[in-house]
Amino acid sequence: MSVRESIGLHEQSCTSCLICVRDCPSQCIEIERHTEQLTEGRRPKTVHVLDAFRIDYALCMYCGICVDVCPTDALIWSPVAGLALPSRAALVSDREDLARRAQ
Amino acid sequence: MSAAFTPISYRVVAEPTVRVHVSELACCAIEVGSAVALGLLQPEAPQDAPARIDVLLVSGTVTELLAPAVQAQWAAIGEPRLAIAVGACASSGGPYWDSIVVLNGISDLIETSGYIAGCPPDPRRIIDGVLALVPTP
Ligand code: SF4
Ligand code: SF4
Repeated sequence: MSVRESIGLHEQSCTSCLICVRDCPSQCIEIERHTEQLTEGRRPKTVHVLDAFRIDYALCMYCGICVDVCPTDALIWSPVAGLALPSRAALVSDREDLARRAQ
Repeated sequence: MSAAFTPISYRVVAEPTVRVHVSELACCAIEVGSAVALGLLQPEAPQDAPARIDVLLVSGTVTELLAPAVQAQWAAIGEPRLAIAVGACASSGGPYWDSIVVLNGISDLIETSGYIAGCPPDPRRIIDGVLALVPTP
């Protein structure tokens, strides 16, 4: 039996598609992204680039829906222990913290 | 015959001068109970050394109806004391944050010194969290 300690993010795999953001029942995932035009290749295309990724662990209900729905498996269950901190605001885990959890 | 209801206090087995009280409000309280079953917490006994600090673990969803009970439990605890929110509900309202009868965390009610993530947190993480949040002697 595995314990759901926390969630980790493989940054390189995330396409900023926002599916996790939309499906999270607690509405605790926040993503910032911008679009870039790629002109190289056969024809120009537009891609999303991830700027910020936050999970508010004070709200997260550990349901795992984000892990299940992520089409690129960028989100994973991490064996790194969850947060226990003196301030409510510190329970918002940023991109660096989430990436560390996926290492 | 009538007897006043006295909730059980616990001691942290790894650091017995930390006395723990529990607001048992929802599922997180079951995990605190598991910490007792795992031998991480034990009921306070008369021969225990004096406690250096009292910790209130608010574990579960705080509704408007139950808020006065949490407040009364906190008021009955002497200084030095520390209130810790165990899990998402006590930290922020959790999955019920948008419910009109649920408080957005116990910091709306009492001074809160710690927040332990989880829904619910593992009993070992609850005790790790308590030990990390309590000041060292
Ligand atoms: S585990 Fe559930 S509540 Fe937590 S971030 Fe993922 S979808 Fe949201
Ligand atoms: S569902 Fe996966 S790929 Fe899409 S934004 Fe979320 S983490 Fe990134």
